[in-house]
Amino acid sequence: MRPPRRPWLLTATATLTTAVFLLPVYWMVKTSLTRPDRIQTPDPQWAPSPVTGENYSTALGYEGLTRALFNSLVISCGVVALTLLLGVPLAYALARVRMRGSGTMVLALLVAQLPPAIVLAAPLFILERRAGLTDTYLGLIAADTTLTLPFTVIVLRPVMRSVSPELEEAALVDGCGLSGVLLRVVLPLMVPAVVAAAGLSFLIGWGEFLFGLTLAEGPGVQPVTVLLNAFIGQHGTSWGALMATATLISIPVVCVFAVFQRFIVGGLTAGSVRG
Amino acid sequence: MNQPSARRRRTGYLFCLPGMAFLALFLAYPLLYNVWTSVHDVDLGQLLGGAERFNGLDNYRAVADDPAFWHSVRLSLVFTLGSLLLQFSIGFALALLFARPFPFNGLLRSLMLVAWLLPPVVSGTLFRWMLDAESGAYNALFQAVGLSGLSHDWLTDPSTSMAGVVFANVWVGVPFNMLLLLVGLHTIDPELHEAAAIDGASAWQRFRRITLPLMRPVSVTVLLLGLLYTFKVFDLVYVMTGGGPVDATRVLSLYVYEVFFTFFRFGQGAAAGLLLLVVPLLAGVWYVRRLRREDEAPAGGAV
Repeated sequence: MRPPRRPWLLTATATLTTAVFLLPVYWMVKTSLTRPDRIQTPDPQWAPSPVTGENYSTALGYEGLTRALFNSLVISCGVVALTLLLGVPLAYALARVRMRGSGTMVLALLVAQLPPAIVLAAPLFILERRAGLTDTYLGLIAADTTLTLPFTVIVLRPVMRSVSPELEEAALVDGCGLSGVLLRVVLPLMVPAVVAAAGLSFLIGWGEFLFGLTLAEGPGVQPVTVLLNAFIGQHGTSWGALMATATLISIPVVCVFAVFQRFIVGGLTAGSVRG
Repeated sequence: MNQPSARRRRTGYLFCLPGMAFLALFLAYPLLYNVWTSVHDVDLGQLLGGAERFNGLDNYRAVADDPAFWHSVRLSLVFTLGSLLLQFSIGFALALLFARPFPFNGLLRSLMLVAWLLPPVVSGTLFRWMLDAESGAYNALFQAVGLSGLSHDWLTDPSTSMAGVVFANVWVGVPFNMLLLLVGLHTIDPELHEAAAIDGASAWQRFRRITLPLMRPVSVTVLLLGLLYTFKVFDLVYVMTGGGPVDATRVLSLYVYEVFFTFFRFGQGAAAGLLLLVVPLLAGVWYVRRLRREDEAPAGGAV
């Protein structure tokens, strides 16, 4: 496209649009930093004055918040580990090895992304209860991984295909087994894609709610998303503390996204629209 | 090397085994178990060790006879179509804006994606607060610009709560739509636009005759992915309204949740859940077939 005549005018338009669009995010942070007695007024302040950390200490004083943040961290890290452990070899084999049934497996992975979480949460509730997996980290990690594993393989497979086969063949001739080729030749070449898959898996594990709601029974393993929802019931009008909690949950999301931004955007588009 | 391909294949299967076994155990088996549950009389008693009784299609009949189910079907339809239409058109407009090069383009675009990445529970809580009757930011904004007639108790009025939930869901969906449509816009050869401009075509004519037709395949994909995502939505609605007030926003996923986890009617819940699968499965099958067709046709031949 031709360079526009007035690029700064476009920047101004886009900045304004983005600002209007992101008003809720600003409002969340703003509310969390406003003194509690100045939050619920008919004409709210547009910037907090004075800035206060009061809401954060209130929120962190609520029972279970630090524990729930820790739980969410354990669960999302577990999801990342399990997803990569299962997903990387699977994606590699589907990309590189001529096998009977690989087409069916790819199709199965596509279909696996279709069922709404509630359709899975219901039977998982019964089955994990019988297996003694409810109210354990493992039960939640496994449930979340059913969401992350299929898309990870779908995203990684085409990237693995793009690694030049000559490199692999050279390593095979040198006596590397297939696992050696994967670990020493292919993986180092696709760090960005693996990092993107890890980042997205973390975000999905961190933000997951329904499995946490149905498969965690007590505060022992409950993720922070479930606790935030419970807070609305318990502290419904303490918007300052609620927004402080919401901000605390959002900080890791923004950090992960800021660090992996380039990879994640690429991975998203690769996984969704091909070509 | 002796029989490298046979060995290679064996290792390949070994690589697939853990992942596929995991999905079989935690995804396929539960879904099949759901089918089994849906034709049995299962409630909390059986879960604690009673015997389930086969009851054929009774559960399905019970769901089909439940007016609340059909009410939820209608709500899901309104929620899905409303969200799709709005997030697609807003996303398209934004994609057109961001398709042009200007300073800070990439930064602003990434900032918008934050809305899409926030956990739905956070966005839900956030929009409860934004749409709050007395001190919500949107009502304050309406008053500040002299539109106080528009300020309203959005989420607690049954006639507007659906609009409030759709509004929040559109906010979540717009960045994703924009991103994918932007990818599509970048595949359009700029020379087409230049040639048309030289021939004296106006910006509107170029949009109608070049951009829109060339964007059709991408648009279909984006709308279909949007349909799949929107139809699934649970967290956002659950957190914002819990399906209420009364049942004004109880979309299908919330209906299934209630039957299963509130009333513990597992058989009926499983049946309703399987009915909920129909739409994504049909859409998915259609999508995969379409991808296959595109694979067969040479690139660009799908227009």
